[in-house]
Amino acid sequence: MGGQGGLTLSRTLAAAAVLEGFSVRTGETLGMSQRFGSVVSYVRIGDRVLSPTFSDGGADFILGLELVETARTLKLLKPGGVVVASDAVKPPVSASLSREFCDKKKLLETIGSAASTVVVVPARRLATGAGNPRAANMVILGAFYTLQNTLSADSIRRAISEVVPSKWLESSLRAFELGVSYLRRA
Amino acid sequence: MNLLKAPEGARLALMGNEAIARGLVEAGVSVVSGYPGTPSSEVIATLHEFGAGSEIYVEWAVNERVAFEIAYGASIGGVRAAVTMKAPGASVALDPIVSSAYGGVEGGLMVLVADDPGPHTTQTEQDDRWLGFLAKLPVLSPSSPQEAKDIVVASFDLSEEVKLPVILRTTTRVNHTVGDVVLGPIRRIKRVPQIQKDVPRFVRAGMLWNLERHRWLNNQLSVVEEVFDRVSPVRNSVEGSSRLCVVTEGAAYNYVAEVLREVGGDVRVVKLVLLYPPPKKFLSEALDGCERILVVEELDPYLELVVRYTLSELGRNAAVYGKSSKHVPMEGELSTKIVRKALLSALLTDKASQEASETSGPSQLKIAARPPPMCPGCPHRNMYVALLMGISRAGFRRGEVPVFGDIGCYALGVQPPLEAIWTEHSMGASISMAMGLKVAGYEKPVVAVIGDSTFFHAGIQPLIEAVHKQVDILVVIADNSIVAMTGHQSTPAWSTVESGRKTKPIDIESIVKAVGVNHLEAVDPYDIDSTVKAFERLLRKPGVKVLISKHPCALVEARHRGVEVRYGVVEDRCTGCLACIRVTGCPAIYFDGSKARIDGEDCLGCGLCARFCPYGAIEVVSSG
Ligand code: SF4
Ligand code: SF4
Repeated sequence: MGGQGGLTLSRTLAAAAVLEGFSVRTGETLGMSQRFGSVVSYVRIGDRVLSPTFSDGGADFILGLELVETARTLKLLKPGGVVVASDAVKPPVSASLSREFCDKKKLLETIGSAASTVVVVPARRLATGAGNPRAANMVILGAFYTLQNTLSADSIRRAISEVVPSKWLESSLRAFELGVSYLRRA
Repeated sequence: MNLLKAPEGARLALMGNEAIARGLVEAGVSVVSGYPGTPSSEVIATLHEFGAGSEIYVEWAVNERVAFEIAYGASIGGVRAAVTMKAPGASVALDPIVSSAYGGVEGGLMVLVADDPGPHTTQTEQDDRWLGFLAKLPVLSPSSPQEAKDIVVASFDLSEEVKLPVILRTTTRVNHTVGDVVLGPIRRIKRVPQIQKDVPRFVRAGMLWNLERHRWLNNQLSVVEEVFDRVSPVRNSVEGSSRLCVVTEGAAYNYVAEVLREVGGDVRVVKLVLLYPPPKKFLSEALDGCERILVVEELDPYLELVVRYTLSELGRNAAVYGKSSKHVPMEGELSTKIVRKALLSALLTDKASQEASETSGPSQLKIAARPPPMCPGCPHRNMYVALLMGISRAGFRRGEVPVFGDIGCYALGVQPPLEAIWTEHSMGASISMAMGLKVAGYEKPVVAVIGDSTFFHAGIQPLIEAVHKQVDILVVIADNSIVAMTGHQSTPAWSTVESGRKTKPIDIESIVKAVGVNHLEAVDPYDIDSTVKAFERLLRKPGVKVLISKHPCALVEARHRGVEVRYGVVEDRCTGCLACIRVTGCPAIYFDGSKARIDGEDCLGCGLCARFCPYGAIEVVSSG
């Protein structure tokens, strides 16, 4: 959802990939007017990637910052793909206007049926613990880190320090570590 | 890391627009102007963010034509200058752009025009490659952030050598794509501006001079290809020598290259960077021996016409496919999926079995759409609620008082539940279109809603027109003191702008008074009851009425002042009637299955929902 830090998350992944020597492309939806609207950032990492987007069924991972939007993007996931998502649910205005209830259980079921692995993280709670509720995106990044072996923790930390403003850097790094340890412990 | 100061050779992940900003610094630009517009805004924003504003003149201008003219004036003074805009902005600036081809430049001048296939954030899918043919100016097109940066640098060398402004035409998937970019050296070009008085060259009042300059212009265009080949590190290119050919450019190239890597097959790929004037010499060699040609491009069949024309000029025969053969869609943006289908059906028919079968993805829950709404606490929401109530209080039905909208965040008032505006057309059109309906004889009141930045950009002249002709309209200036929609840029009302420059604030109220409107009122829309009354009063009055609805953008206010209060729903009192959501549509409020709830972290405390809960169930729950 626009305004939740998806852009920072995709920028950090791109920066980490470049630090690892990969070629990278992201496709973004930008603009203040996207706040509280659906947004998707595509991130592609490889030896020589060119296209900034991919088609349905092309994603190895979906990193979700909100469950309604995570469910909406499932068609992008490859069969056998992995979903790492925050447990936050923010029902769209259009649902509430028609008295439609966004049931977390149903959302989780839908997500579970589409992915081989689903990790749901209390990202906002952990980020608040790290001293910055807005760093839920970094918690998700930490959880994602434990499930892949393309990007090293070191590159990700360096990427965070390149992308995140210095004022939020410490809490963002802490949020990243909390995401890592939340999964390691689970 | 300061990407504008980082050393040559550094490899960074940069967004296309950041790469363009770096390219401007590498090229030694002295003056940069522009008007915010997605997807072009981050070029100037990046220059501001990384402090270039202290060394070069980089400022937002009041609109695109003024921005272009500022850059052009600098350029005929011999310094390097650039101007940035989105596609509709190029139309706003078209008059001076076309004339500039006749006067030509001294210092290099680059004009960034960012088109938006999709469209993602633009009113039309205008294809500005045609600017080449229309304005007779060279047009260059990058396919990636790296190319964008390198072509920016080359565009200045090209511009200075052929003495013409050069258009850098990009699309969203270049501007807003992050890619790996290797930085180049920063050229320090310090020139003292000098202007040569050359009347036939710069005065367009003499028709014989104009005819002469037109001849000069055509002559300059005839050498563009050769100069471009010499100065640009990113060239028109050919890969392969097959008789099956693809001609492409820009973002479309990426899809072509990736699909060919996936499906294999011997296809010659001809990629253009110089789009205007069409590089005839290059094309005649690159297309030599092509039997079947698929043109892959976004928006109009621009390259397709160029290819067909070039072939016929050369007297060559080849089958040309693309938009006219319906292999490539005329609307929307391309993707690997679309390009794959086009390649397999037009050229690689033997591999057609590889066509991706439509997989019927995972079982889908029906998911409610989430179009971007106005933010929680947005003062525009309060203004619209008051306007709609004011219309009823003044004795009219909502359906008989058309509200002409304009371009900015307040256009989001079109979404349910408000559904407040009836049109959103082009910058400033709210006032003139409302006037048009009225002069045509429409009897009920008409309303125009325009934002502060849009008013500065293109709303003042329509207001002059309406006052001069004494047409009965109500103009609402929704003044949140910022260009919010494109990422919070400065307006002429600011006293210090992003570069740090001290500026003289221009007061909207004084302008409106000076124009001489019949009635002027100013309200804070957070005071909802006074705002309703103001609308009710003004809707009953004749003449041109202006209501300035002034309250800062809620996001900016929250950032500067912190959130003073937040609201919550008292569960016992809430009946679940959802009046709060139906009146406001605030995205911080949602239905939890039986009652309303407010997401505490999203509420910015405007109090609007509390004002309309019939059961007094919404109260302040925390301060800050
Ligand atoms: S208007 Fe009041 S009573 Fe009705 S749903 Fe909203 S909070 Fe509950
Ligand atoms: S007070 Fe109500 S309408 Fe205003 S921001 Fe909070 S929840 Fe939204």
